[in-house]
Amino acid sequence: MAERSTFSAMWARVQTWEGFLVCALIFIVLMNTALSPQFLTVSNQINLFQLSIEKIIVALVMTFVIINAEIDLSVGSMMGLAACTFGFLFQAGVDPVLAIAVTLLVGLVGGALNGVFIAYVGLPSLVVTLATLIGFRGLARVLVEDRGITDFPEWFDNLGQQGLIGPVPFALIAFFVLFAILWVVLQRSGFGRKTYVIGTNREVAAFAGIDTAKHKLILFTASGLVSAFAGLLYAARVGAVRGDVALGFELDIITMVLLGGVSIFGGSGTLLGTLLAILIVLNLRNGMALLNITGHIQTGVIGILLIASVLLPRLQLSTLFGARKRQEGSA
Amino acid sequence: MMRALSNLNPQTLRILALLLVLVLVVLFFATQIDRYLTGRLFNRVSSSVAIMALIATAQTLVILTRNIDLSVGSVVGVTAFATGSLIANVPELHPLLLVSFSMLLGACFGAFNGFFVAYARVPAIIVTLATLALFRSLLVEFADGRSITSSQLPQWLTSFPNTRLFEIGDFQFRAAFVVAVVIVLVVHIALQRLRVARKLYAIGSNPEAAEMAGINQKATVFVAFVCAGALAGLAGFMFLARFGNITVVAGLGFELKSVAAAVVGGVNIFGGSGTVFGALIGAVLVDLIETSLVRWQLVSEFWREAVLGALILTAVALDAIVMRRLVALRGAKHHEKREREVTGG
Amino acid sequence: MPAPLLALDHVSKRFGSTLALSDMSLDLFPGEVHAIVGENGAGKSTMIKVMTGIHQPTEGRVLIEGMPKTVSGTQAARELGIAAIYQEPMVFPDLDVAENIFISEVGGGWFQNKAKQRRDARALIERIGMDLDVDRAASGLTLAEQQAVEIARALSQDVRVLIMDEPTASLSAHEAEQLRRIARQLAADGVSVVYISHRLEEIFEVADRVTVIRDGEHISTRLIGETNTETMIAEMVGREVGNYFAKAQSHARDEVILSVDGLSLEGVFENISFDLKRGEVLAFAGLIGARRTDVALSLFGIEPASTGTVTYKGEPLAITSPRQAMDAGIAYVSEDRRKLGLAMPMAIRANISLATLSGFLSKLGLIDRPKEAEAAHRFRERLNIRTPDVETEVGMLSGGNQQKVMLAKWLNMNPDLLIFDEPTRGIDVGAKAEVHDLIRTFVKEGGAAIVISSDLPEVLAMGDRILVMREGQQMAILDHEEANQERIMALATGQGEQEKAA
Repeated sequence: MAERSTFSAMWARVQTWEGFLVCALIFIVLMNTALSPQFLTVSNQINLFQLSIEKIIVALVMTFVIINAEIDLSVGSMMGLAACTFGFLFQAGVDPVLAIAVTLLVGLVGGALNGVFIAYVGLPSLVVTLATLIGFRGLARVLVEDRGITDFPEWFDNLGQQGLIGPVPFALIAFFVLFAILWVVLQRSGFGRKTYVIGTNREVAAFAGIDTAKHKLILFTASGLVSAFAGLLYAARVGAVRGDVALGFELDIITMVLLGGVSIFGGSGTLLGTLLAILIVLNLRNGMALLNITGHIQTGVIGILLIASVLLPRLQLSTLFGARKRQEGSA
Repeated sequence: MMRALSNLNPQTLRILALLLVLVLVVLFFATQIDRYLTGRLFNRVSSSVAIMALIATAQTLVILTRNIDLSVGSVVGVTAFATGSLIANVPELHPLLLVSFSMLLGACFGAFNGFFVAYARVPAIIVTLATLALFRSLLVEFADGRSITSSQLPQWLTSFPNTRLFEIGDFQFRAAFVVAVVIVLVVHIALQRLRVARKLYAIGSNPEAAEMAGINQKATVFVAFVCAGALAGLAGFMFLARFGNITVVAGLGFELKSVAAAVVGGVNIFGGSGTVFGALIGAVLVDLIETSLVRWQLVSEFWREAVLGALILTAVALDAIVMRRLVALRGAKHHEKREREVTGG
Repeated sequence: MPAPLLALDHVSKRFGSTLALSDMSLDLFPGEVHAIVGENGAGKSTMIKVMTGIHQPTEGRVLIEGMPKTVSGTQAARELGIAAIYQEPMVFPDLDVAENIFISEVGGGWFQNKAKQRRDARALIERIGMDLDVDRAASGLTLAEQQAVEIARALSQDVRVLIMDEPTASLSAHEAEQLRRIARQLAADGVSVVYISHRLEEIFEVADRVTVIRDGEHISTRLIGETNTETMIAEMVGREVGNYFAKAQSHARDEVILSVDGLSLEGVFENISFDLKRGEVLAFAGLIGARRTDVALSLFGIEPASTGTVTYKGEPLAITSPRQAMDAGIAYVSEDRRKLGLAMPMAIRANISLATLSGFLSKLGLIDRPKEAEAAHRFRERLNIRTPDVETEVGMLSGGNQQKVMLAKWLNMNPDLLIFDEPTRGIDVGAKAEVHDLIRTFVKEGGAAIVISSDLPEVLAMGDRILVMREGQQMAILDHEEANQERIMALATGQGEQEKAA
């Protein structure tokens, strides 16, 4: 190893990808605070989360999927399908609680559909979820056609828009609860360990007696279920449902996960990284909004961020940091 | 029969199967819809396929190298808009120059994709997922709230696609369709005969072997993306000519359809095999089903996308299962050959 | 005396602190088949990589026709007329044979002349003495045919030095003979053929000269007539063959734990029958391609057999998945650490618990880390795994230690039957001895072991009985007393009589 100057010694402490993300986050937060004094208020922070709360919930599960060396492109469409299913059932006079249950079931079944084709028929997840991305969206449009459905019950709308515990809305609480649970599952449980191993090398897992097909089925089913849940949250928050709900959400979701240090090739990454990346993306979007940059342009910037999140580890950090060790949470 | 079939070139087999499916689909809808088998059907499908055929060709080029291009839809939208903008401001611009502009612009976008995929080694799914958003946002920025309307466009442009080149009874062969088919055929022949093009197949078939054989993978993949971009640019030109009114959502969703057309048309998603001609038939099939669904009273037109999704899934699943059977068949053949050696030798 | 076509002139190659090649000098003349033999890890593949430009020498030079040259990569090597073919054929499955051969052809214009390509391809294939349909997609060819395509490709580029790395490893006897004929044909045509093989008897059939290397050093280069198997082995190993391969006493008990009768997998292997007692080591001998691993995979549930019966601990057992085999107490230690045996980027601790994960889970499904670490430490002691701690990435360990981690994974299961597939492949001599001791201890304590090995001395050292396979067929089961290298090799290459299972 080359002699370390004080500069590189300092960098060495920030040696993990997570450390780099923290630096980036601090930088963005400082920029935003400079742009607007209201930035660090509670209400603004909650609002910052709320605007993308459904996406970030799905990002938690997507982390598992990508660590497992798969990808689920259909999450946005499932969110839309779920929202539209709920709207359709509600408008047909079905009891809203029952409608919610059915919607979650749709998510389960849709996810399982992905899972079966990927795990048991053995098709690549890219193609399968691309097909269901189209298919689920199509089903959403069949249900809702070109109408918009609104006038949901008040408790439903309130759940999405009002605070549940103090100013904190249900969705945000759900996010943190889910984060906590999934963190334990990923870093500490047998299921999480298997997720990493299968993502590292599927054959090794199979030769060790792990039922890799079942594992993938569970993951994709969970992805569908959580996407449906997120779709419901979106319907509650926005108070209306259209055929194009959550169109294009998969871009942000995948960006957050990859930026968080999860390798697209599987086998590494952490939920902490995803959380930091989520914070970065949310704050970045917020900052851009403060600068009056339109939604479309923001999305373009997220696109650049996506490419950068895969490029940077390879280019820059490997030379700055020597052998960059990605933490997989020592799972 | 399986034996005889397995000896045929798999690609030929696939195209034959597709044509069979096409015929079956047409017959099915003919029983469901009044006055279905008319020249009007042909004219309608051929007009809309013209654009998708080019995009499916572009997608095929990329998929052959074991990559994917999710940004073609955005490229079509941007080039359509930019081309419209250009001609609206410079109406006396020569048609050939205009077409060249579209293709060149498309090629630039392709080069952007190609650079990151081939040289920076970022997986294509990531790059093109990003450029899908990036290019679209560039369009929004450039458009700045405006849109292109056909009144801004010169006569020759808007009337070109529907110009009847020749007719066979009720079946009109319109300019757009003919041009598209000709280009597809040219690309098809190029892929089969051009040395450089064969390297595309080699890379998709076995990237390691390609490396060992000294094939410049980076340059070849880069060129594939550039060509795909150019074709998408051309498709943007055709799109402009056909629709006239271009908004910022032009081309949305085209990438998925192009993957569907390619996959249905026998292009192996893992690369290395498939033909552009197959993708053309795939595009026709997809378009036919969509157009027919619109006219089918029994089912609402909103089923279009759902059917498309199901179609891709079925096509890829069937492919995989048939492939496995063929491989098993070949494996059994090998064992027979070995056995004969062992007992006879 | 003309200058050699290719020469390594005092070449050394260093990787970090490892010296893969040390002062290696070698010369290759046109028209000869020059064999290179050495144990695993002796430096053969590094040598090939230096010759083909994949690696640059740390010291020394590569001389082409007497002139020092920098071979900057496979492309440059090919332009100099140097090409290599390996065990795994590098063909394009979707392209036809003619295209496969000429894919990297330069010049000749923009367009392919299909007719000419076919003609030229046929000519090349004939020149090698093979018979192939040049329009056939490469995916439809056998391994041997694919190799022929690769050779044809090299010929099309006017190869002058053709390196063949274990070319017959996966071929049938007939195909191997064919390949050796091709090698001699090429030499007769003036090509310098470098032939690397583990099959010593094959060397005598095909080579003009043979070079022995050991631990990255050149040991000897002789004319083939001036050496024999014993000398070669002694030079490869560097010590008296006798001591190294001492056979320990058998610990076989009376209880039959596994009884296999008529086991067959269509198209792969047939009629495998044997009994295995507790405390016994049954060695599976044979050349690569004999399908021994397939039998093991069948017993482990990865490629379940199509016919035949397996009786385990007195009960019939139909094994259809690894989980099922493991629940019964059967474990399989894979021959490929990197691809099948270990999760390289993960910690030693995580790898050791991999097959027995459920045993480390609490009620909620959470991993008991201290328990895991404790088990890992125990195995570190017991197997003498040289590592500072159990958190180290397995990928960082040496081959021998990696092998031990893999063993630990399976030993943690307390299996009754352990199938070892090439247990000492690619590890240093010291570690080899340790692994052998481990196996002996395992059976002494009541386990039963099947050891698949392509290393004849190892087979003789370990096996209480030896089952010889060839091309998916069971040739014989030999008791240790009646077995020797010649007899096993004869059976493995089909020269002996096939005997009914005992």
